[in-house]
Amino acid sequence: MVLFIAQGLIWTVIITLSSFALGALFGVFVALARSASSRVIRALARIYVDMIRSVPPLVWLFIVFFGLAELGLKLSPLQSAIVTFSVIASAYLGEIYRGGLASLGSGQIEAAQSIGLSRFDLLARIISPQIFRTVSPSMVTYGIGLMKDSALASTIGVVEMTFRANQVTQSTGMGLTSFAIVGGIYLALSIPLGLWARRVDEKMRKKYVVN
Amino acid sequence: MSTENKTYLSARNITKDFGTTRVLDDVSMDIQSGDVVSIIGPSGAGKSTFLRCMNLLETPTSGTVEIGDFAITLGAGRSTASKKELATLRRNVGMVFQSFNLFPHLTVLENICLAQRRVLGRDAEQARVRAFELLDRVGLKDKSEEYPGRCSGGQQQRVAIARSLSLDPQVMLFDEPTSALDPEVGAEILAVMRELAEEGMTMMVVTHEMGFARQVGDKVHVMVGGRIVESGDPEQVMTQPSHERTRQFLAAVLGR
Repeated sequence: MVLFIAQGLIWTVIITLSSFALGALFGVFVALARSASSRVIRALARIYVDMIRSVPPLVWLFIVFFGLAELGLKLSPLQSAIVTFSVIASAYLGEIYRGGLASLGSGQIEAAQSIGLSRFDLLARIISPQIFRTVSPSMVTYGIGLMKDSALASTIGVVEMTFRANQVTQSTGMGLTSFAIVGGIYLALSIPLGLWARRVDEKMRKKYVVN
Repeated sequence: MSTENKTYLSARNITKDFGTTRVLDDVSMDIQSGDVVSIIGPSGAGKSTFLRCMNLLETPTSGTVEIGDFAITLGAGRSTASKKELATLRRNVGMVFQSFNLFPHLTVLENICLAQRRVLGRDAEQARVRAFELLDRVGLKDKSEEYPGRCSGGQQQRVAIARSLSLDPQVMLFDEPTSALDPEVGAEILAVMRELAEEGMTMMVVTHEMGFARQVGDKVHVMVGGRIVESGDPEQVMTQPSHERTRQFLAAVLGR
């Protein structure tokens, strides 16, 4: 039974990693738009973020899976899950980046501008590496949340762990055992991730003492 | 230098509004190649804002910034400078900040090499050689592999000066470079600046260091309430100020 359920782990991992990666990438644009100098762009980005965060992930998942199908864009359950969670992640991670950006202060940006660095270099070599250090714990926390949310994909038919546990329960009635197994696997994934994040954070803090 | 005794950097009719507050009111200033110009005045007079307009870290509401034959005019429907204008200006104008603003995630050497490589296109070895030359000059050759967080304030400011010099600027702007430092440490920075001045660097310095302005400066401008109220030979301005507001200011800073 454990093996049967654990086979669903692959989908959990695929959904989580790809959504996190895509969300982390698009989140950069969200953060940039949220801190843009143009008021219109800032407002649009704000609406995007608020809209995504105000609606439950499950509802978004159904909108993408059932809603887009009605409009003629038929996505597979897996595709729907990845699209939905990527978009949601982009809003949350974008906000996390923006917080880091705000804590960076204007001095770093001005120094980079004064030595003539391009906007790309400013972002890639000055802002990102410094922000990464401050936001990586929040990012991992969000990543763990995303992994847990990926269980929602079972509702549209992605055969991940929760889906399988449900199948087991339907056929054997052993609901406690099967879902305890799922919980155990999530626990086994979350705790090491959290510990790892803390370790990395401490290591980076030691490397560059910021005063 | 071929541009000897020629106006090199100039600001004409710079006005800056923050919302409805006018912080700079029609300020003009010329600086000749090789000269050291100091800007003094009470806090909140707009000195730093003016200096930051010189490399367009602050965009003037209106006015012209001119370096050599290259002029950038803002206002009259034009609210931002183009990328190319900014690049040309900043390529020639270096800046040192009150709070150093070194990049904390890069070593001292990397701080000095980054722009050399990315902006000037020097290769790793050229950048390194130049960085060590400059570190040697500011007395920090042995700190090249340290992160800024492990350097004292005075050391950080010297690295910041080296970082700025690494791009071989024509003009250096100093925004209260000693204000965040103990007087003794500040003196080290002033010594470095004095050396630079002696070597012929064109410098514009916002400072509260009256001694520096008097001894090193070729000219001093007194700024009050967003305007220049008095300009001239430092000795003259400091001993026989002609403007009442200058007298008040000098009495306050020198009378302590």
